[in-house]
Amino acid sequence: MIQLFNVTKRYSSDSLALKDLTLQIDKGEFVYVTGASGAGKTTFLRLLYAAEKPTRGQILIDNKNISRFRSHQIPFLRRKIGVVFQDFKLLQSRTVYENVAFALEAQGKKRYEVSKKVYQALKEVGLEHRLQRRPVELSGGEQQRIAIARALVVDPLILLADEPSGNLDQEVTLDIMELFKRANARGTTVLLATHDHSLHRRFPRRVLTLDKGKLIGDQQP
Amino acid sequence: MLERIRYFIVRALRNMRQWPLLCTASILTMAVALATVATFFLVVVNIEQLAERWTNEIQVIAYLQDVPKQQDLPGLIKELKNYPEVEQVTYVSQAKAMKRFSERLGNDADLLEGVRSDLLPASFELGLKPEFRTTDGIAGVLEKLESSLAVEDLRYGQEWLDRFNNFIGMLRFVGALLGAFLLLAALFIVSNTIKLTLYARRDELEIMALVGATMRFIKVPFLLEGAIQGFIGGVISLLFLSVFFTLVVSRYLGTFWLTPADFNLVFLTLWQQFGLVLAGVVLGALGSFSSLRRFVKI
Ligand SMILES: Nc1ncnc2c1ncn2[C@@H]1O[C@H](COP(=O)(O)OP(=O)(O)OP(=O)(O)O)[C@@H](O)[C@H]1O
Ligand SMILES: [Mg+2]
Repeated sequence: MIQLFNVTKRYSSDSLALKDLTLQIDKGEFVYVTGASGAGKTTFLRLLYAAEKPTRGQILIDNKNISRFRSHQIPFLRRKIGVVFQDFKLLQSRTVYENVAFALEAQGKKRYEVSKKVYQALKEVGLEHRLQRRPVELSGGEQQRIAIARALVVDPLILLADEPSGNLDQEVTLDIMELFKRANARGTTVLLATHDHSLHRRFPRRVLTLDKGKLIGDQQP
Repeated sequence: MLERIRYFIVRALRNMRQWPLLCTASILTMAVALATVATFFLVVVNIEQLAERWTNEIQVIAYLQDVPKQQDLPGLIKELKNYPEVEQVTYVSQAKAMKRFSERLGNDADLLEGVRSDLLPASFELGLKPEFRTTDGIAGVLEKLESSLAVEDLRYGQEWLDRFNNFIGMLRFVGALLGAFLLLAALFIVSNTIKLTLYARRDELEIMALVGATMRFIKVPFLLEGAIQGFIGGVISLLFLSVFFTLVVSRYLGTFWLTPADFNLVFLTLWQQFGLVLAGVVLGALGSFSSLRRFVKI
């Protein structure tokens, strides 16, 4: 599903974010990406949804070499990938419903299809009673769940989540992990970037460890 | 397809409702720019129209040394009419010249009593075809006249015409220059106003790209919004102009200008009105387009 060959990412001549990464992630896997702050976790995810281009090396997703993609091909890659951003990236001026519908509309889905799927996705994360609220009126955990609903509503092949437990308490974090596990059980490949070791102690899965841009560990549970 | 178009329009309209201030600013900017350009256009058109009236009166008058014999007249007139430049030939006999003169004198006409009616020379008045009412056209006529008739004196508005031609040429040049400058300035202002609206919505643009929207999908509603705003701006400028024109210009200015009594100031033709609104649409879409290139990246 995801293959990296000698991938290096340099933002500028003196900042090396990722160094010579080679790895493979199969379809349906659940993988933690860990490492200290600045280790390159976010950069790694950004390379996968083509927000950055690798400085060197090749990245294959679903057997397509995305490092060679032209800008008009990128949207179609992103439609296969749901992303939960570290800062959620919700539209404050839109309702909960509109925020989730946004992802489907952006892909040109029909209206009746959109409303059905949005309702299902919000029900899945337990927010179907908050359709007309705006994100500011909701708690951090609820906002996080909207972001997850928006990532999952498109039935992605791959789910990328950057620090999903960032500043949430234990209980909420468990709820959210449950959502990821359910998506994974339905066949979505899940990559979860975090520096929270308690997560993989509780739900042991494959762990990729980055340090200063280098892959220093790849452990199966 | 229809569903898609509907979605684009809905999104464009919702965006406009969401940022009413910026939207109003764009519309008014375009309305002012378009109204200014159109006003200038009207000034030029009206001066040209007025000028055309003056050139109607351009004619060449050939005062004859000898009065032509009555039987030669039709031949002469025919010959003159054959000049390519000439539209119309009027023979003014000595008696007729006298009569005109005395009419001009009005109450003082009795001064002429006892004056011989052959005091004034007979003449041909040549009206020229519109395309020859120029320096070159007149020169052509003069040349032919001098070689074929015994002419005592020639009158024509040569010097005046030269100055007039220069004036019209200058007016067109300045008009085109100023018009181009105004439109460019309008485009610049519009694209900057739209940049502001895009800047206010940069999150939305970013997220759209991140969830897999194509460039076209992101851009079309903004282009549409620009076009709609341009359309409204165009209509406002047109309304403003026509109200201003009927209430102020044609009523007051028209009566005391140096205009002939039957001269009417012209307003934009229907096609030009349509063109003005269309210019608004193009201006709005172009303004959006140029700023979108900066803001939307995938
Ligand atoms: N846009 C950028 N321009 C320049 N350097 C960058 C940029 N983004 C990240 N970096 C650098 O790349 C390195 C890796 O950053 P990255 O954001 O991937 O780390 P991270 O593991 O996600 O850290 P954190 O846990 O704090 O989120 C850091 O040294 C960072 O300073
Ligand atoms: Mg990070």
